[in-house]
Amino acid sequence: MGFFKKFLVGKSEQGNKQEKAFEHELPQKPHYAQPQQMSSSAQLSENIDYLFSQCKQTGDLKVRALDDGRAALVFYETLVDHEKMQKKIFAPIEMGHVGRIPDLPNSRQMTNLDEAIKKLLSGHVLYFDEDSTRITYFDVTASFNRSVEEPVNEKVVRGSHEGFVENIKTNVNLIRKRIEDKSLVVKYFKVGKKTNTNIAIVYMNGIADPEIVRKIEQRITDISVDMVQSPGFIEEFIEDSTSSPFPQMLNTERPDRVSANIMEGRIAVMAEGSPTSLIAPSTFFMFYQSPDDYNMRWYTGTFIRLIRLTSFLIAIGLPAFYIAVVSFHFEVIPDDLIVPVKSSINDIAYPPLVEALVMVIIIELIREAGIRLPSPVGQTIGIVGGLVIGDAVVRAGLISNLMIIVVALTAIASFVVPSNELSTTLRLLTFPLIFLAGTLGFVGIMFGLLFIAIHLTKLESFGVPYFAPIAPLSLNDLKDTFVRIPLYKMNKRPKDAHPTKQLAMEESREWKKNEQSK
Amino acid sequence: MSSQSKPMISRRQFFFIIVQTEIGVGVLSMPYDLHGIAKQDGWISLLITAFSLLIILFLLWMLAKRHPSLNFFQILERVFSKWPGKFIIVAYIIYFTSVSVLIVLLFGRMLSLWVLPSTPFWVLSILMVSVCLYLTASGLKIIARLYTSLSLFLFILIFLMVFCFSELEILYILPVAQSGWINIVKGANEGLLSYFGFIVTLVIYTYVEGKPKDKFKTVFWAHCFVTCFYLFVVLVSFTFFSTKEIALVQEPVLYMLKSFQFPIIARIDLFFLSIWVVSVATSFATYLFMTGMGLQTVFQKQSSILVTLAAISIFIISIFFGFESERLELLGNVVVFLGYAFGIFIPIFTLCISALRFKAKKEGGKQSE
Repeated sequence: MGFFKKFLVGKSEQGNKQEKAFEHELPQKPHYAQPQQMSSSAQLSENIDYLFSQCKQTGDLKVRALDDGRAALVFYETLVDHEKMQKKIFAPIEMGHVGRIPDLPNSRQMTNLDEAIKKLLSGHVLYFDEDSTRITYFDVTASFNRSVEEPVNEKVVRGSHEGFVENIKTNVNLIRKRIEDKSLVVKYFKVGKKTNTNIAIVYMNGIADPEIVRKIEQRITDISVDMVQSPGFIEEFIEDSTSSPFPQMLNTERPDRVSANIMEGRIAVMAEGSPTSLIAPSTFFMFYQSPDDYNMRWYTGTFIRLIRLTSFLIAIGLPAFYIAVVSFHFEVIPDDLIVPVKSSINDIAYPPLVEALVMVIIIELIREAGIRLPSPVGQTIGIVGGLVIGDAVVRAGLISNLMIIVVALTAIASFVVPSNELSTTLRLLTFPLIFLAGTLGFVGIMFGLLFIAIHLTKLESFGVPYFAPIAPLSLNDLKDTFVRIPLYKMNKRPKDAHPTKQLAMEESREWKKNEQSK
Repeated sequence: MSSQSKPMISRRQFFFIIVQTEIGVGVLSMPYDLHGIAKQDGWISLLITAFSLLIILFLLWMLAKRHPSLNFFQILERVFSKWPGKFIIVAYIIYFTSVSVLIVLLFGRMLSLWVLPSTPFWVLSILMVSVCLYLTASGLKIIARLYTSLSLFLFILIFLMVFCFSELEILYILPVAQSGWINIVKGANEGLLSYFGFIVTLVIYTYVEGKPKDKFKTVFWAHCFVTCFYLFVVLVSFTFFSTKEIALVQEPVLYMLKSFQFPIIARIDLFFLSIWVVSVATSFATYLFMTGMGLQTVFQKQSSILVTLAAISIFIISIFFGFESERLELLGNVVVFLGYAFGIFIPIFTLCISALRFKAKKEGGKQSE
């Protein structure tokens, strides 16, 4: 054992050295895939003992002795599908001898015991026989999948109703079905030293900027943690600026949204065990696009999109604006409105700043309570919170009518954003603006907004400016930002993702010219 | 300094940097100042200022063109050799700092007069300085991007003023040239304060992409844009208020907008003022940036600590100075005087020296890189 210990220590030092080397250049293979050197012995019992000692005598590791103890199958009974095992191994040899198992069509061989443990953990069954060092293994993983359903938080009226599930292979399949092209590339990574989570990045070779692809690969291979649960973990490890309140990668559960973004030259990151996929590089305005926009007439699409962008201003600015008006700039209200406004706020004991903070926090409470509870109770909370509290608080003279209207509008506006991440960001940004408005009026709001604008301009997502196409200004890309012009006119991909191929379509409505010329 | 690591900006961004730097704190009081000397002919003074500045801008361009790969401070070091160059740079840093202080003070005074009478000045000063420091520390590229998108606000300013068109009276600017040409030329001096940002063309010239000729075209059009904007403001104020009235209103544009009321909103002057805050911030940020750049050249160090130090000192000076009218006027006069020296005479002097020193080897600037 002393020999082994020394051997293993030596190995790990070498591994460290290699890890250091990877910091400078991108490894061909990620470092976790380095094979270890414990090769199998010709003694069946030695092999099995080694497996059991390595797997810490866990209760669900089963050995099935065959051929009077001269051969054995080893597997985790909690990971394998017994029916598959029956079909792949026992049915073909029903008539013959156990010794024919290694020759079965689905089998693969190796001699490394540590590699074999990894296979064991990913749901393979191992076959050992006496007097031979080879290990034969079969893939008999059991998987229990949710069916492909429409994601609850990203519903659309028209268009595909499919959504990602927790299985990464199904998810990649959903994208491959949408993009039948040989340049669609999927790259797998294993992340998480203990969880060994399968991560995939998906992109179009020849459209996506290789520099950005390289950056994402580099950042994913740099992750060195025990547990990676979902894209949320990965996002924090690979995003550019963790101190920014703005999400720098788009989270989505919709395959159509992912494939559209892949076709724009962006890169999708998916993880086993989570239906959410991340899209990078992202820009601020991507969070305001929804697949629905492209399934409507373009006038309606434009209209809806403008409403969403207005909702951005309402969500972060309306309470602040209202507070600034009632506490600093009362003269902004036209003469006819002064009496109703004044009579509404006159009897309120608290300053508008406190009123607004209380109401915004109450709304957040109701929202958070509603999410965590089962849906029938959630609705009750909504009614109790929204109607009862809202009404009672006004009657009690604690909060003014107008403040309720303002805060309710703000809350609704913040839910208009198609992305949950950005919506929470907006609600968070309301607070500093409320404080600034309550202390400095319009000037405070202006400085707050200027600060946010500077921050957005400064922010980058994988080396791509986040606030594109506004800053840096790109007039050509505005056509899919504030408006949604007819699809046949969007013949160029947006510049922000640095696509290597700009042209996305050639003349698609040639037939019109042809018909007219007749 | 290799040209590879330089942050390059496009000519469109250059255009907007010039515009945003020039249009700033002066826009509200400029009609009043012009009127104080040239009466209703103030707009002619403005045109004279604009035209003479064009010649100066051409000379500045000549200087920058001679040393295409150096920024202004490096040019100074090169032309005057190391230590005298550094001395002049320090003088420039003091000049830029004093302009920044003046901007913050004028800004604070305007706000306390119009919207925030009881807010202590240090609050406004700290807001302005910290927001602009955040911007300046992000580098030229971010500044350029932001200015380009913020320029939308300039059009909103113009749009707000368009509401007054129905009330304008062209007769107020007649008769033309009544106040006499001497006064008109004197009035040109008043207009200069609003244009002082023009020095930025020289300072960041080397970071702009494109051929020298195209760059000058950009400078030219930016200058034209600013002149048109100012002319618009001046003419609207001069025709809205009569010659006698305007002598009483220090901020004609705001008073003009104040008199309008719409069914949904009254007092557009407050909105105008809020947007004006952004214009002031952009001018201030550019001066802060130039100060930081000067400090970095002097100390040969690329670090944001220097800019932070500059910002803190501007903040402290502005608080101790305060914005009493008389002291502010004194500072204003000093800054105008310094503006002639640092914006016009020193660059032209530098151009002469540079022409004498580097006559023989015209490509000297390029070879040394």
